Amino acid sequence: MAEDIQKLRNIGISAHIDSGKTTLTERILYYTKKIFAVHEVKGKDGVGATMDSMELERERGITIASAATFCEWKNHRINIIDTPGHVDFTIEVERSLRVLDGSILVLCAVGGVQSQTITVDRQMNRYKVPRLAFINKCDRSGADPIKVNEQLRARLNHKTALMQLPIGLEADLSGIIDLVTMKAYYFDGPFGENIRIEDIPENMLERAKTAREDLLDTASMFSDELMEAVLEEKVTDELVYAAIRKGSLAREVIPVFLGSAYKNVGVQMLLDGVLKYLPSPIDVKNHALDMDNDDKEVEVSSNPDAPTLALAFKLEVTPYGQLTYLRIYQGSIKKGDDLINARDRKKIKVGRLARMHADKMEEITGAGAGDIIALFGIDCFSGDTFTDGTLRYSFSSMFVPEPVISLSIQPKDNKSEVNMSKALNRFVREDPTFRSYVDHESGETIISGMGELHLEIYVERMKREFNAEVETGAPQVAYREAVSAKADFNYIHKKQTGGSGQYGRVAGFMEPTEDNTYEFVNAIKGGVIPTEYIPSIDKGFQSCLKKGRLIGFPVLGMRMTINDGQYHSVDSSDMAFMQAAIGAFNQAYAKAKPIILEPIMKVSVECPSEFQGNVMGSINQRRGMIISCAEDGIFTTVDAEVPLAEMFGYATVLRSNTQGKAEFTMEFSKYSKVPESIAEELKKSLAEGARKGKN
Amino acid sequence: MKDFIKVSPLKLLELSKRKELGRGNLGALMSRAGVGKTACLIHIAFDKLFHNKKLVHISLDDTPDRVTSYYNVIFSDLVKALDIKDETEKRMLFERNRMILAYMHHSFEIKRLQENLRTLVDKLDFVPDCLIVDGLNFETAENSTLEGFKAVAKEFNVEIWFSALSHRHITDKNQKGIPYPCSRVDDMLSMILQLNSTPTGVFLQLLKDHDNPVKADTAVRLDPNTFLVTQ
Repeated sequence: MAEDIQKLRNIGISAHIDSGKTTLTERILYYTKKIFAVHEVKGKDGVGATMDSMELERERGITIASAATFCEWKNHRINIIDTPGHVDFTIEVERSLRVLDGSILVLCAVGGVQSQTITVDRQMNRYKVPRLAFINKCDRSGADPIKVNEQLRARLNHKTALMQLPIGLEADLSGIIDLVTMKAYYFDGPFGENIRIEDIPENMLERAKTAREDLLDTASMFSDELMEAVLEEKVTDELVYAAIRKGSLAREVIPVFLGSAYKNVGVQMLLDGVLKYLPSPIDVKNHALDMDNDDKEVEVSSNPDAPTLALAFKLEVTPYGQLTYLRIYQGSIKKGDDLINARDRKKIKVGRLARMHADKMEEITGAGAGDIIALFGIDCFSGDTFTDGTLRYSFSSMFVPEPVISLSIQPKDNKSEVNMSKALNRFVREDPTFRSYVDHESGETIISGMGELHLEIYVERMKREFNAEVETGAPQVAYREAVSAKADFNYIHKKQTGGSGQYGRVAGFMEPTEDNTYEFVNAIKGGVIPTEYIPSIDKGFQSCLKKGRLIGFPVLGMRMTINDGQYHSVDSSDMAFMQAAIGAFNQAYAKAKPIILEPIMKVSVECPSEFQGNVMGSINQRRGMIISCAEDGIFTTVDAEVPLAEMFGYATVLRSNTQGKAEFTMEFSKYSKVPESIAEELKKSLAEGARKGKN
Repeated sequence: MKDFIKVSPLKLLELSKRKELGRGNLGALMSRAGVGKTACLIHIAFDKLFHNKKLVHISLDDTPDRVTSYYNVIFSDLVKALDIKDETEKRMLFERNRMILAYMHHSFEIKRLQENLRTLVDKLDFVPDCLIVDGLNFETAENSTLEGFKAVAKEFNVEIWFSALSHRHITDKNQKGIPYPCSRVDDMLSMILQLNSTPTGVFLQLLKDHDNPVKADTAVRLDPNTFLVTQ
């Protein structure tokens, strides 16, 4: 069984959008005989690549939801998660990285390291994922894989091991030189399925020798044995493989492969690289939290006979019903087993389980540690941990960013209303960055997420998958309120309406905190407020944070200190002190100079250098602060911080400013104070909106 | 906050005749690898930024992320060393007044720099007072490159500070006593400072002060950790 696990690879394919990762996946599935025909993304045959399982994805030519698939290569099993490239869907990338053991970072040989590549790379670092780089599109005009390898070193700060050289470039790309075996590989047949191995062409021999020396220099840093072999000129292929594998697993080197998925060059060699240089589940240390032991971190073993531990990392609605993707970390799962959801301790029975291949499935009877499988009909949330009941472990929650943008949606008719509700229920379970709630004041349904496109996709999915037609309102930024000064409070809550009354006095002060976290400080001395009422005061304060008095948005943390008060032996109660705390909060809030905070996005725009001025101008017009500007050849990357409120419709503006040659990514950076003049306008427009909502 | 200028490495300039590099002029800070050239150069940058001057940091080697980290680390040191209370405001001040221009993989050209600076002035109303250039190779830099920078200094009315890497094994000096590699182009440089690490401490020495004579011992002692002037 241990040997079986060693022959398993759970890999993701992550990259900048449009760098060809879906095409690459398609080719991998073709060479591993999982599919028997190749379709292109936005293909003329109208079929679309296999991994783009959703209709919408096929239409847009981008991959939105991860689709997991399973294949076999040279007696090894490989689970592949295809991940979306757009930053709005990064929760998908984050989820797949959480459960994967290794990844292929796909780069475009023309575009090189782009802003999205940096984001994805940062995510891989966060989850400590070893990776290979595949420099794709070497057949494209302007392809320069050597420069892209340099960019990996300079821009991503990686030590790389260039494993190959291209034979020809652009339209002349004809094969790949393997710098370990020192042979030339050509890919014959309609889809490059027949590999022809020959001697390195004479005119490339010297270059290949020099590149191999560089490779050996890098590899020998991870193996003394190889270093000695280099000195004694007794290098074997196995020594090089072992050294690079050691460096790769330790995330100290990234083996770099080249090719063109579209032209069927180099993909099989990349697959060999996955087996050689990416870890099997037992090479990776995974941890869970022991809920019976103060959430202490415990190492999970890859033993298939140990108690079962699995993580639900994705939910999907498919024609077969609800599908839950699980990664089994420890133990095994068989048909008919009982599993316990660690979150609510509910028992579930394993019915059908399957390995998924995009939107097709292969039913199986069981799977062991390290594997990725799909279960049918399980009621759970994404991120839930399942055990066999003998352990009370949970996997650390995946990092989930807070939504930064909201949109009101209104069903167009009664039928849509029912379907919309079903859709929202589903999406919220599938995607933790997608939230939905009903605003009780306006009665509107509000959805919130990570960006305009994120919400736009869900609105379209409602229509297509759930037949729910909705009208959307204008996007709304997730503003916050905060106090900027210290203010005292001294409030008495007193009510006598027959029977026992209510009495509580609370005094103290509120003040801002540096990190915007909420703190409650109990500085009561001499028991002027009995200890039993203190939690109610804290609760009262916290209830006020949900909706600020300035514009009605949540209030970011502050320090609330109580240092005096009074109680009544008959009329005081938890409720009375909670009300007193609310009154005290309101009393001090206005005096504490509340301010409005807005989300500031880190925006990175990449454009040909000739458009740099236009890009900078467009950012400047949006109250943006340009941080830096990096030129690299003919491309420039402009990094800036821009208020989210100013970023609506930026994609269109950028397109027209740069003849469609620029692209941008953005992610949440921080909350910052809204300038006075804008704050005033905002207060007016929000008040206006609220008035209209009431009418 | 204690007065930064009292402990800034630029205090050395108080010992010079003109007390400053001056707009339109070029200056260099030279030292061997690993002594703290970039850190010291960033202290010069902070000196300008804390005086509410606008600064463009031009990096010919490092990515903007790395340059930003240098600034952040040094700023954190300054917060501690100078007991800066209004850290957030000071950070906002320097971030607002600093622009990083990076030219990766030998993509630097004087013409591009001029275009970029014009963009900053025209599109962003960011009118620089000082440029910091890190990573220029003084061993291979042509006179024409320095002339180009001189033209930039004149056109944008800025002073420009460079870092220059010297070597332990090359001890050559020109007739004016300027060590290699600045000796190659010292005519173009109005001020030259040298950072030396000695067994008795780290010293910043003035080697050239416009056309004025310089005493051999014109130097300030720096704290090797913070690069701030010590008594």
